[in-house]
Amino acid sequence: MMISKLVNILLVEDDEVDVMNVKRAFSKNKIENPLYVAGNGVEALALLNDPDVPMPKIIILDINMPKMNGIEFLRLVRQNDKFKNISVFVMTTSNEDSDKINAYDLNVAGYILKPLSFEKFLSSVSTLKDYWKLCEM
Amino acid sequence: MEDLESKHYQELMALKKEYEEFVYIVSHDLKSPLRAIANISSWIEDDLEGNDNAEIIANFSLMKGRVARLESMMNALIELSRVNRLELDQYEVSIPELVKECAAMATTTPNVSFHYRIEIEHEKVTTLAKKLEKVLFNLIENAIQFHDKDKINIFIEIIETNLAYEFAIRDDGPGIPEAVREKIFNIFYTVSAKDLVETTGAGLTICKKIVKLVGGTIELVSGEGSGTTFKFSWPKEIVL
Repeated sequence: MMISKLVNILLVEDDEVDVMNVKRAFSKNKIENPLYVAGNGVEALALLNDPDVPMPKIIILDINMPKMNGIEFLRLVRQNDKFKNISVFVMTTSNEDSDKINAYDLNVAGYILKPLSFEKFLSSVSTLKDYWKLCEM
Repeated sequence: MEDLESKHYQELMALKKEYEEFVYIVSHDLKSPLRAIANISSWIEDDLEGNDNAEIIANFSLMKGRVARLESMMNALIELSRVNRLELDQYEVSIPELVKECAAMATTTPNVSFHYRIEIEHEKVTTLAKKLEKVLFNLIENAIQFHDKDKINIFIEIIETNLAYEFAIRDDGPGIPEAVREKIFNIFYTVSAKDLVETTGAGLTICKKIVKLVGGTIELVSGEGSGTTFKFSWPKEIVL
């Protein structure tokens, strides 16, 4: 039998309600992966560089954030040999073409629009889970 | 004189910037707390699981419906603001095919019959096809959505003139009362209560803006109780 190891997930999100949404969705979907939270790109970089924090395999990234937005953060992640292979999923309210193009140019694994309802949010997170389960095999 | 022109130009640019910022605020900043309300209400509903108080359940359902409506209205505002900026590619389409596709897309019940009268010499035209599709779809969808009878008849007429295609979308529904005809192109105006037919009341406003953009005209011809007819002209050549 294959032994799977739960991958670490980093959520980069400034909106407290969205952080709770993800935590609730994890709990509802019985997702037990360790979840680390950073409130913006600067905090996320600090976490990635912290030797006491395990390296995430997945990043869930908001775009519109203070201090350093998601695209600026992603650009720095892709330029860094240590982080450039982390799978990144954008989860944002931005439906702007420019944000989508920038994100895909920076090799994101998916671009998810934050849905209005929690029920739809649950199904978005469930889809994400299907992806990272593949990383755990 | 030149100074005055330059001043007007600068004022125009400042207004344009202000308008774009306003749209951005509506589309991003205001949506965030709206989503929070929707999500938090779902959590509370979830936490109340097992509670069978019918009043609480009904009130939650009302609140979620209103939040969804507010989101639709904000999306409509954004769409309206983008009419002059997005989907401005002109490509060749067959007018009869486009009309029939829109009719099929807008038909949500099996009791709709379409009747066509198409008198055109040139079926294919290079035009702002996405915009024309939007106008046709909105008018046909309205004709179906606001109908009050079990059987719905929609009459679609297209006539080609030297300079334009003239469209008429007619239904045999309740018609639009004389007193409100001037208001129907206003954004968020609906003839019947929004609770009766779930609609944002933005479709006709968007249609009017599109038709104005292409240099056509749109008008309502309706007698109360004798159905509604919308007529619009769509120039063959569109210069933006």
